[in-house]
Amino acid sequence: MSKLASPSSLSRVFFITVLVFFAFVYLAPLYVMLTTSFKGIEEIRSGNILALPNSLNGSAWVKAWSSACTGGDCYGLAPYFWNSMRIVLPALIISTVIGALNGYVLSQWRFAGSDFLFGALLFGCFIPFQVILLPMAKLLAWLGLANTVVGLVLVHVIYGLAFTTLFFRNYYVGIPSELVRAARLDGAGFFAIFRHIFLPLSTPIVVVSVIWQFTQIWNDFLFGVVYSGPGTQPITVALNNLVNTTMGGKEYNVDMAAAIIAALPTLVVYLVAGKYFVRGLTAGAVKG
Amino acid sequence: MFDYLEKQLPRLIMAPTALVMLVCMYGFIGWTAVLSFTKSRMLPQWEFVGWEQYERLFANPRWNVALDNLLIFTSLFIIIALVLGLMLAILLDRNIRNDGALRTIYLYPMAVSFIVTGTAWKWILNPGLGIEKMVRDLGFTEFEFRWLVDSDMAIYTIVIAAVWQSSGFVMAMFLAGLRGVDDSLIKAAQIDGASTFRTYWHVILPIMRPVFFGAVVILSHIAIKSFDLVQSLTGGGPGYSSDLPATFMYAHAFSRAQMGLGAASAMVMLAGVMAIIVPYLYSELRSKKT
Amino acid sequence: MGSIQIQNLTKSFGDTQVLKGIDLDIKDGEFLILVGPSGCGKSTLMNSIAGLEDVTSGDILIDGANVTDLSPKERDIAMVFQSYALYPTMSVERNISFGLKMRKLPKAEIKKTVARVAQLLQIEHLLDRKPSQLSGGQRQRVAMGRALARDPRVFLFDEPLSNLDAKLRVEMRTEIKKLHKRLGTTIVYVTHDQVEAMTLADRIAVMKDGQVQQFGTPYEIYNNPTNRFVADFMGSPPMNFVECVVLDDKLVIDSQGEKFELKVPNGESLKQAGLDTVVLGIRPEMMTEPKPHSSSSFIHSIPLQVEVVEPMGPDTIAFGQWNGIEVQARLSPEAGVEAQTSGYISLQVDTSKALLFDIHSGARVN
Repeated sequence: MSKLASPSSLSRVFFITVLVFFAFVYLAPLYVMLTTSFKGIEEIRSGNILALPNSLNGSAWVKAWSSACTGGDCYGLAPYFWNSMRIVLPALIISTVIGALNGYVLSQWRFAGSDFLFGALLFGCFIPFQVILLPMAKLLAWLGLANTVVGLVLVHVIYGLAFTTLFFRNYYVGIPSELVRAARLDGAGFFAIFRHIFLPLSTPIVVVSVIWQFTQIWNDFLFGVVYSGPGTQPITVALNNLVNTTMGGKEYNVDMAAAIIAALPTLVVYLVAGKYFVRGLTAGAVKG
Repeated sequence: MFDYLEKQLPRLIMAPTALVMLVCMYGFIGWTAVLSFTKSRMLPQWEFVGWEQYERLFANPRWNVALDNLLIFTSLFIIIALVLGLMLAILLDRNIRNDGALRTIYLYPMAVSFIVTGTAWKWILNPGLGIEKMVRDLGFTEFEFRWLVDSDMAIYTIVIAAVWQSSGFVMAMFLAGLRGVDDSLIKAAQIDGASTFRTYWHVILPIMRPVFFGAVVILSHIAIKSFDLVQSLTGGGPGYSSDLPATFMYAHAFSRAQMGLGAASAMVMLAGVMAIIVPYLYSELRSKKT
Repeated sequence: MGSIQIQNLTKSFGDTQVLKGIDLDIKDGEFLILVGPSGCGKSTLMNSIAGLEDVTSGDILIDGANVTDLSPKERDIAMVFQSYALYPTMSVERNISFGLKMRKLPKAEIKKTVARVAQLLQIEHLLDRKPSQLSGGQRQRVAMGRALARDPRVFLFDEPLSNLDAKLRVEMRTEIKKLHKRLGTTIVYVTHDQVEAMTLADRIAVMKDGQVQQFGTPYEIYNNPTNRFVADFMGSPPMNFVECVVLDDKLVIDSQGEKFELKVPNGESLKQAGLDTVVLGIRPEMMTEPKPHSSSSFIHSIPLQVEVVEPMGPDTIAFGQWNGIEVQARLSPEAGVEAQTSGYISLQVDTSKALLFDIHSGARVN
């Protein structure tokens, strides 16, 4: 907190009012989603978005999870929820492990061209993925991985590497290189140093990397919509299909329930470990 | 022998990543670039036609709408997010003990997918049943809010949703920056007799310049890549009035079997991103070296 | 057991040559100190001996065997770092035993060694603590303990005392000297503090710009420096350097307009070299208040207008000017008071140990 003179009581009341007002504004969509999801269709049509539900009708949720139509199939979001899990978990583990080793190398074992490599990686964090969309499709087809979960895992690992490497490298440069020298004199080799010295120190950055990757991959839509097929789609794609499929009348309550289901895992992660989430975001913002 | 291997380990470890970067980033960019100079439609056809695709692109009315939209969207998005984020950060910094709860609330939108955001706001801005109905129920029976289905206004709905999603992040960046300002500077300003406002204006905000730039760079990056939000909120519509380059590219490269055109649009997007990122990275790395 | 020969060692980082041909012959059991200003290459040399840096050309031999291409692990060397470099997530005990564990020694032996070393350094009560829970002095001991446990052929110390406060520094200095006497292992020690160098070393290598300027015992370095840089570097307060005009085989000192002639050792070499001007090097302790002394032809009486005095305790330093150049003289405290009040003192100048340096190259002339 700045050491500026404390605001007068009147200003303070005003500031807090503004802050709380915006808090409501930010929460409003969540509120609307929740209330709508528990209303019946008639109630939705006759009432308005800010009204509380008359009773907690959970049928929209059940439908969203197990029987809503997402394009051709009507299995609800459940299968796609598990698809996303099957994509996210391996991808984040692999990209975190490789990122850690890469970060270790780039921060402590400089060699000819390592700076250049780092620069190339850094740049890679920024490219709009539209430029690799088409060739990657060819590559996946060539590998026989088109429209598969494994294919999506591969894509997310490849394009997550730049970020995880960046996170670990920026963290590991903070570890004094004298520690590495002392360990080398003690007779430790490349992996021994990683295992005994760097790994025990890595908990904070592993958490950041895992949370970041989980959020990025779970929330991804672009790769999902391009590289998956019916049955292998992640939940974001399924949600979009669900909302845009109008068979019969629009069921806004189901749409909202489905949206919340899709958002839940990352929201939970955020609430539980949000501190690390923010660190990851601002670490990514302060590049170099 | 093992000694040699041990010495080469760092290189060996990086090799797979280096290879992947080479192929899947730079190689692919090259591939797309080459494709943009060909006649490809549904499948790649390696018949070179020079700049034809680019000419077609910039003659395409839908693309021009997308570019206009990008400009409108990006500038509004950045300005509003910056102002909002800065304001909230300053208020939080001035005040509160329990800012943890407030910060969590401002930031949670970043945790959800753009698809979720688009879905939620699509409902909120629903012409018949959303905000319009709510305000009418409050007594303003003539109130209209049909931006979602208005070709002139649809792009602004995307601005609203994007600001909701990303301004918390800007707030977090500014808050971190504000908290990093050296106390002794503020004390010096106070001794010099500056009021609170002037302290902010003349002392604190100038120090925050790097944060401004960082935020602008990241926000423009988000803006240029915006695809998910458009797909879920407006679908690019009505018609293509809220199209953005990313949705244009997807539509033409995949649905409309215009690979060459799609590739050209992707290359233009890349050029746009590079125009912002390269100078920024260059100046950042340079200042780190000195 | 731990002799080191360094032969024509060069080291370049890209285009910059940091070590320009180092030749050193370090005897087994010797306490060698590398001293010099920042950037002179002493840390690079140390790291090269340890094997932490590759050399560009030249050889390093330990006990006659060429180790230039060996990894640090194979050279059987232990190092104490300036910042101690203790492993932050490990207890003191694990820190000390880490190197032994890497060498796959049996557990029982490791335990014995750790206990022995801990007792030697009086850190037994700290074995379970983590480095963050230790004071600076304690960390220093643990760092030394880690090196001692390895029982190496050579110890390398990289400015180990610079992070300690003055009092602790003096204490630890004595401890290190005692340790060396007890263990008899070769020590190569880097410091920028010339007092440390003088008090600890068997021999000193003074370095500048990647080259060894002089290699000898503290006595030799102090009394017989090979060039102006070495003469200036060692000694506190530093040697006085005065540019003088040569008159036959004597030097001319101008103190407040009056001219005095100084006789210097080997003055004939001046005539032979045909020099017009030369730099006189004379230590402040050779310029004192008049003392009852058997006169020699090297004792002169030259006045000094005193600008300022600095009382140091056992003596007082007086500042004045000769030939327009600032000089310092060492006076007794009483003479110092007198000099301050009157602003003047008639110095007894003993030039029997005076040195002459070339005015351009700084090389010794006599």
